[in-house]
Amino acid sequence: MARTSKSSRKSVQSKAEEICQYMLSTLEKGQRPILEAVRCNLDNSIYDPSVGYFVPGDKVVKSELNVSSVQKLARTVFMLEILLNNINTGATNTKRELYYMAKGLVKSDPSLKPIDFDGQPESDSVIEFITDMLEVYREELNCFADDRGGQSYSQNLIVTETMNDGEKATIDLSKLGTAPFQPKNQPTALKLKAKGKIDFCLIVESQGTANTLVTRGFTKRNNCILMGAKGVPSNGVRGWCKLIQDQLKIPMYFFGDLDAYTMQNIFRTLKAGSAASLIRNKDFSAPDVKFLGILPEDIKEYDLNSYKVKEKDASEVRALKKARDVLSNDPFFKDKKNKKLAAILNFLVKNKIRCEQQALFSVNPKDPLMPEKIILDKIKNKVFI
Amino acid sequence: MANKITSSSTAEYFAKNLQQVGFSSPTKAVLTTLKEAVDNSLDACEDNMILPELSIQIERLGKGGSKNSDLIQIIIEDNGPGLSAENLPRVFGEYLASSKFGRGRCSRGQQGIGISAATTWAQLTHASGVRVKSKTASMKKAVEMYIDVDIKGNKGLVKKKETLEWDKKTGLQVEFKFDGRIQLNGDGGLLTYLEGTTLVNPHLTLKYKMPDKEWVEVERVSTEVPVVPPSVLPHPHTMKLGEFVTHAGLFGRTSLKIFLKTGFSRITDHSLKLLVKNGMKKAWLNKAMTQFDDKELKQIFAFLIDADLSSPSTKSVLTVGEDSLAKSIQRLGEVDFFSVVTRKPKICDFKPTVVEVALARFIDRGEEDKSVQLLRFANRVPLQFDKSSCAITRAIESVNWKSYGLKQSKNSIPQGPYIFAVSVTSPFIKFKNASKETIDASEELVDEIRLALQKAGQKLSRHIKKEAKAEDLERKIRHIEKFGPILVNGLVSMTKASQARKKRAEDGLSKILGIDTEVAIAELEVAEEKLKSLKVKQAEKLGES
Ligand SMILES: Nc1ncnc2c1ncn2[C@@H]1O[C@H](COP(=O)(O)OP(=O)(O)OP(=O)(O)O)[C@@H](O)[C@H]1O
Ligand SMILES: [Mg+2]
Repeated sequence: MARTSKSSRKSVQSKAEEICQYMLSTLEKGQRPILEAVRCNLDNSIYDPSVGYFVPGDKVVKSELNVSSVQKLARTVFMLEILLNNINTGATNTKRELYYMAKGLVKSDPSLKPIDFDGQPESDSVIEFITDMLEVYREELNCFADDRGGQSYSQNLIVTETMNDGEKATIDLSKLGTAPFQPKNQPTALKLKAKGKIDFCLIVESQGTANTLVTRGFTKRNNCILMGAKGVPSNGVRGWCKLIQDQLKIPMYFFGDLDAYTMQNIFRTLKAGSAASLIRNKDFSAPDVKFLGILPEDIKEYDLNSYKVKEKDASEVRALKKARDVLSNDPFFKDKKNKKLAAILNFLVKNKIRCEQQALFSVNPKDPLMPEKIILDKIKNKVFI
Repeated sequence: MANKITSSSTAEYFAKNLQQVGFSSPTKAVLTTLKEAVDNSLDACEDNMILPELSIQIERLGKGGSKNSDLIQIIIEDNGPGLSAENLPRVFGEYLASSKFGRGRCSRGQQGIGISAATTWAQLTHASGVRVKSKTASMKKAVEMYIDVDIKGNKGLVKKKETLEWDKKTGLQVEFKFDGRIQLNGDGGLLTYLEGTTLVNPHLTLKYKMPDKEWVEVERVSTEVPVVPPSVLPHPHTMKLGEFVTHAGLFGRTSLKIFLKTGFSRITDHSLKLLVKNGMKKAWLNKAMTQFDDKELKQIFAFLIDADLSSPSTKSVLTVGEDSLAKSIQRLGEVDFFSVVTRKPKICDFKPTVVEVALARFIDRGEEDKSVQLLRFANRVPLQFDKSSCAITRAIESVNWKSYGLKQSKNSIPQGPYIFAVSVTSPFIKFKNASKETIDASEELVDEIRLALQKAGQKLSRHIKKEAKAEDLERKIRHIEKFGPILVNGLVSMTKASQARKKRAEDGLSKILGIDTEVAIAELEVAEEKLKSLKVKQAEKLGES
């Protein structure tokens, strides 16, 4: 039992208390409590084409109380108490800080010694089990990862942030010069407003390249939001993109390398979420984002520099190997809604080539606006997927 | 005594190439001298149905003549049949090299050069050969001689001869003084060699004294003298061309027909007809061996290889036996548990071969995180060097020991306080090189050794599983005591429950976890039961029941 229903809008506190009550009363009866958590892996990921992201299937991880699991359950209750205390006092923490808090509590109470964590991975896995069990976001437990990636530039965007103490701050991105706005890892606290009409949002894989475009005046010439993803999009980036998609309802484009890694790890995660965050994909993926490039046909069209995947480059070879696997197993690429994206992956597996986003800079290097022109050209002519 | 050719150049050859027969460094010189003498004593006792009693004394007399060496004295005494006065110079001062192919017996000595090489080494490094004292059953007094090798003439030179009283019925004592270095433990160590010898010779009583150490005595655990089956002739399919040519050279003017029929096993008149039918010239059969040139010998060899001959007999091999091995291994230390396996004789690469394995976990030797100690044997002679390419090592590395509960990183020797002893016995062991330290790793032989190891591993795992179950139970009990209270306290604090509820929950928890430990206890009992029946069998082997 003890699986809190998905639809219930109960507070985290009451869900947690419910579970503890259940465990205690089951123990009183001399029976074994069983905790269930959503199984967060690809096996249990269903791609729902109607919403465009991964939703959890009905497989669960069951932890029945026995000698082997008693340690895990004791740790779970211990960590739950720390987290609830944070929620009640409005304090937030990173996972690392929680690890140290747990260490501190154990130090101050010798009877807790047996559950001491031997390194952060141990406490992280307890926190993950709790989120999967309560079916809440880590952020709802006031536990935040650091804000990584998603630096944004715009002349037309105003963000209002509600801070933990309830106070509000308003940020006008046009006032930041060439400095970026760093989105918080807490999308629920942000409200977006467009100043005038915003035509599109461009998410560039490389934060550095996004920066270059801004410096060359991209956001001055275009009514847009320009963002750097910085590799595999963090929760912060994914939540931020989802906010833009939902609150501003503007076309969104992703521009990155043409290679297997970008397609299956970066773009897919941005668009449909990940298996590890199954229960949060609803708010942490932006299914409307289009793949602007680099597309295979762009190589010919713009005579871009591409090269063969080097047999010796282990990470590239690994990415290709994974691509083959992904094509036959990943529900996202198997769905016919994404067959054009799967076709690109197929093309990469077959031809074993790569083309990097920065290859745009090889087209007429004397014209500093060339990359921008190509991007706008592609948007205008609808050359995206 | 086998003594078919005695060429005067033989002694010269070996005097120049002593490194080929084990005298390649001062450390190896000590070990090889010891080994040659001990092997000879054991062989001689076995051939005369005597239970061997050996005494070995090694001393450091001072600095050696060459750099980095000491002057070493080794005295080895046996209760064997002894040698007559006229045989002494021949055995100790002459290279008796017969067929290079060995004798076709599972005896330790194979070549008739071992002990003379030791004399040569002593002579080269300390200017005097060997002192021997000997008494045979027909002698009233013992005879003592100082013998050198006459290197030019390949003859034993008697320097001094005396008769004297010896309160022994029969026996032989040798003393060598030479440049050497003493290494006791590890690969190539003297004690390692003696331990190995002890293990595979359960019928041996051994007394030894190492420099600066007390006398140690190891009693025999078997009173049966192993019977070494009579020699068998080589099977043509076991030979290489070179060996075949050498073998042929020993037969001089005999005809090919006689050579084939008397020089090999499994060649019959029928096989000769087959050779001719397959295209060999019929006239060759009556031609003398001396009249064939190399090219013709090569052709004959090719016909033999292609001929369909029956497999050699497996009667020529002997085993130590599971019972004796089980007892003998207890002599190496305090054994925690062990398993032994003696396979049935098998034909590997056309040679009758038998593999025996003893695996034992010790309480008083070895370490958890170090590789197990490996003891390799070929015809009951411990092998000490070049273990990495040996068939035995290869076979051990190819077994997945993890599945028997041992620690092992992939494709390597497992770890723990164990001795892994593997013995290969065959009248024709194929070594990788002249110094006879590594058994050639043919696929068939490695497979056969692997089978023996796997069987022994399965037996061993019953002990290991029991230990694991006991550990599991202990862990479970510890777990409950540690985590139970924390869990209940946490729940009570989260729910602000009453003390009464807390008490009930605690009781409930200990009930649940109590059931778990009961299950673990029951599992342990099953494992213990299984082990007990194995132990009964082992006790029977040890003669304790
Ligand atoms: N201690 C001994 N007691 C009785 N006979 C002995 C003793 N030592 C040697 N012999 C005899 O002398 C022979 C020659 O010994 P030697 O060590 O030279 O050759 P081997 O043992 O036959 O072969 P290998 O060269 O392989 O050692 C032996 O075969 C044996 O008949
Ligand atoms: Mg010998």
